[in-house]
Amino acid sequence: MISRAEVVRMAELAMLELNEVEIALYQADLNRFLQSGAELRKVNTQEVRLSSHVGRASSRMREDVIQRSLPQEKALRNGPCVVDGCFRVPRVMEDVR
Amino acid sequence: MKGLAQKLRTGQVTSVQLVQHYLDKIQADDPKVQAFLYVDWEGALAAARASDERRKLGKPLSPWDGIPIAVKDNICTVGMPTTCASRLLEDYYSPFDAAVIERIKRAGLPVLGKTNLDEFAMGSSTEYSAYHITHNPYDLSRVPGGSSGGSAAAVAAGLCPWALGSDTGGSIRQPAAFCGVVGLKPTYGRVSRWGLVALASSLDQIGPMGRTVEDVEILFSLIAGYDGRDSTSLPDAAYHCSASGPDTLAGLRLGVPEEFFGNGLCPEVAASVRRAITLMESLGAQVQPISLPHSAYAIDTYLTLVTAEASSNLARYDGVRYGKRVEADDAWDMFRKTRTKGFGPEVKRRIMLGTYVLTASHHEAYYEQARRVRSLITQDLEDAFAAVDVVVTPTTPTTAFRIGEKQDPLQMYLSDSYTATANLAGIPALTLPCGFDSRGLPIGIQLLADHFREDLLFRTGRLLERILGEVGE
Amino acid sequence: MTGYEIRIGLEIHVELATNTKIFCGCAVEFGAPPNSQCCPVCLGLPGSLPVLNRAAVEYAIRAALALNCTINLYSEFVRKNYFYPDLPKAFQITQDDKPLAVNGLLRYYLGDELMETQITRLHLEEEAGKSIHSGESIIGSEYTSVDYNRAGIPLAEIVTAPTMNSPAQARAFLEQLRLVLQYAGVSDCKMENGSLRCDANITVHPEPGMRVEKVEIKNLNSFRALERALAYEAERQVRVLERGGTVMPETRTWDERAQKTVRMRVKAGAPDYRYFPEPDLPPLELDAAWIEEIRSTLPELPLEKEARYQEAYGLSTYDTGVLVRAPQLAQVFEATVAQGRDPKFVANWVTGDYAHLARLGGTVSAEHFGQLLDMISSGAISAAQGKTVLQEMFARGVSPREFVAEMGFTVIADRDFLGKVIREVLTGHPELVERYCNGEDRLLGFFVGQVMKATNGRAEPRLVNKLLVEALAEGRNWQPRAE
Repeated sequence: MISRAEVVRMAELAMLELNEVEIALYQADLNRFLQSGAELRKVNTQEVRLSSHVGRASSRMREDVIQRSLPQEKALRNGPCVVDGCFRVPRVMEDVR
Repeated sequence: MKGLAQKLRTGQVTSVQLVQHYLDKIQADDPKVQAFLYVDWEGALAAARASDERRKLGKPLSPWDGIPIAVKDNICTVGMPTTCASRLLEDYYSPFDAAVIERIKRAGLPVLGKTNLDEFAMGSSTEYSAYHITHNPYDLSRVPGGSSGGSAAAVAAGLCPWALGSDTGGSIRQPAAFCGVVGLKPTYGRVSRWGLVALASSLDQIGPMGRTVEDVEILFSLIAGYDGRDSTSLPDAAYHCSASGPDTLAGLRLGVPEEFFGNGLCPEVAASVRRAITLMESLGAQVQPISLPHSAYAIDTYLTLVTAEASSNLARYDGVRYGKRVEADDAWDMFRKTRTKGFGPEVKRRIMLGTYVLTASHHEAYYEQARRVRSLITQDLEDAFAAVDVVVTPTTPTTAFRIGEKQDPLQMYLSDSYTATANLAGIPALTLPCGFDSRGLPIGIQLLADHFREDLLFRTGRLLERILGEVGE
Repeated sequence: MTGYEIRIGLEIHVELATNTKIFCGCAVEFGAPPNSQCCPVCLGLPGSLPVLNRAAVEYAIRAALALNCTINLYSEFVRKNYFYPDLPKAFQITQDDKPLAVNGLLRYYLGDELMETQITRLHLEEEAGKSIHSGESIIGSEYTSVDYNRAGIPLAEIVTAPTMNSPAQARAFLEQLRLVLQYAGVSDCKMENGSLRCDANITVHPEPGMRVEKVEIKNLNSFRALERALAYEAERQVRVLERGGTVMPETRTWDERAQKTVRMRVKAGAPDYRYFPEPDLPPLELDAAWIEEIRSTLPELPLEKEARYQEAYGLSTYDTGVLVRAPQLAQVFEATVAQGRDPKFVANWVTGDYAHLARLGGTVSAEHFGQLLDMISSGAISAAQGKTVLQEMFARGVSPREFVAEMGFTVIADRDFLGKVIREVLTGHPELVERYCNGEDRLLGFFVGQVMKATNGRAEPRLVNKLLVEALAEGRNWQPRAE
């Protein structure tokens, strides 16, 4: 079972703000999903070799040739707050890195 | 479509007339169906005039030059909004065209507008669009399916001759089945994903939707092809329409997986699909039962992977570079408020779930296990295609349900039970209408083939379509 | 600090010297206007997809080979998920449990002692954008401006085993690492521009092997900062331990102004980055032949070169050190020696005047430089003249032969003429002559200098020496007489 605390932690990781009603709702949804998926975890997969990709593409690489970038004005056009050629955001309180 | 092309070639109709016809139709009927999020009234006509000019000069870009198309609104288009039916991207204009848009423009197709979907393609009914619900043209009180519900409804209502959708777990095929149209989920890597707003990168494919198998095949030939901007694009991705083959299915080995005909399948759907199988047998196909033993796990495997990838793909909507920002005192608060306000409940639910299955303590039990079971499901199909050429199943467990009927997200997820397998295995899958239920709602039949065997799907689909037309409902 | 065992590990980020970013074709030029070297991919726009740059892979392989790593023929890219304004996709594409290369080794000198440190891994990843915080620091800032020009520059991350035992050793390691990477040609490794960055972790063990918490130090922007920060941190931890305290696992930053480390944050459980394989990039499967091809183009590395110079040319450790640390000097040295010149003589000139002038800017071809050295060693011009000529060669790019011919630079070896000059010099400094005669031999150099000065450096120095000694010896006899 997923605890309320776990739901709150998921919301933190996902950068979502949940009110009490939503926390309860998602806690219930997540629990139901995990119950329904319980069978999945019983499948014997010990012999399965994990390849990271189902796609059949193999590593193809790009040559190191400069392509035209977007004009600055196009790069910034969708920005909600743009000042002096930069995207501006409110203060970054803590350096999480 | 060949008929339309013929009329354009001989000058019986112009592209402007054709586009105007669809725009009129949109004006008249879309208020009821609500398939479109954006109609490019002027742009479509301008493109049509350019097409007519080319015709006049005897230089059409392709036989289909001038035939318009509608595009799902999670495919990037210059000059039109690309909202993914999300509030967060309400004002978003992509500075680039998706690869498929470049391709259809190179073939001369005017774009009528952008069609509705479940927000970020998460859903099976188009009810999760942040803007409005799309209605099923067969019964306006019912959903068109989703997430490509806008494209399916637009084709079914005659608001466009064909359309582009995207399919991550059934998002082309399920609405196509609900709306009685044809839709293809191509082999993974055959259609470039450059410019498709990602839901789950390892499952997403753009595909064609239309009224007939032939139309869908033509549109597929226009959009398939290698693209160096998509690292999962395959070098031999191009597709050329097959010449019409023999009129029989003699020699075709048709596999029927019993796992797809069990509990949860509506009897009317089962009967209709079985009837279609009998008709194919009458055309010479050798029908044999097969087993896809891990099918039961497909939907949970799919949900685990799709939510995991989506939680990461949707993290970029933080209000810094684009998107509707909610201002706040510090950056983290701005992130949270922007995302909380911008995303709808289903998107948040999936992000929460996806975050959970990727956390260090659950990664192995959920995410890794799902990847392993994905391999088993893929192996099942590989084994099946050693014995048969085409696998046939119902496309959906039921016909279109009523708007508001499915309040439970888990019930909604079950709509993808039969379709998600093809995405997990990366194989092509075609759906076409095979009848109607007692309420007059369309039923879809799904054909699956091995990687790169879209040709087999189209050949089988064309013949099935013809015989269904001949014998009537 | 006796009785304590210090263990230091480094995590180094190197910007690879490609023309374009790791996953898109945007240029990586330094100093462009903000957000002018960006495209849908490096801005993380919806619908964009990454495509791997072959040169980034090649440079990372070169770096890994130069560090004696084993290259994994199969490696994977993963997403590291976290939010930060300058991280465009809210995940970084990096490598986790299947990195490009592992198990490397770097040898280097700490003083005269040859050390070696294990390289645990080397992997490829993408750079983030640049956050410019308003105000003095991140703490008091009101807003942050983000420029994504740097976002997507290819990085090699190099992680060492935590086996270095002193701040000086860590510095020596990093200096050698930079030199090796510069030799391999994979990065300009400029710490001041951030193209080489280093984080350190340090533990102080009261008894060898005893388990203690690790402290990480960031913001080490120079070799000096690295050494001082580690020294400060080692002392701080010892103080904590001696007071009977425990060192907390935390991340600290080096405050250059205060010359101390400051706590950034306590490690409250590792952050959960929710790594998973990047579905937009197929695994990186390498061809062994390609790796061998890259290996075959690796140049001789610093340590090998050092050994060769000492063995083959008999150079001093000082000369060897100077040459190896400056590859362009080493190149001139080798090209000049290759034509049969005396290695020590060449090394003197290269590490002396040539190195000095090269630091001021410009270059002189090995061919012209060789011609100059030949003119000096044959006595056609004096060493002092040689210095002047070399200056002109750097300043104006002239050929030494033409310049000397043009300026009429020739050596004066006329005994009578030089005798006259010497007589003038000696009579001009009677007191010094007296002191010389009383045994102050080192004054000879002064007299030589005066003669050279009087002849504009054209006098043949060996002859001047000889004549002066003779004249002064004579003087010991005649001087009193002159009194």
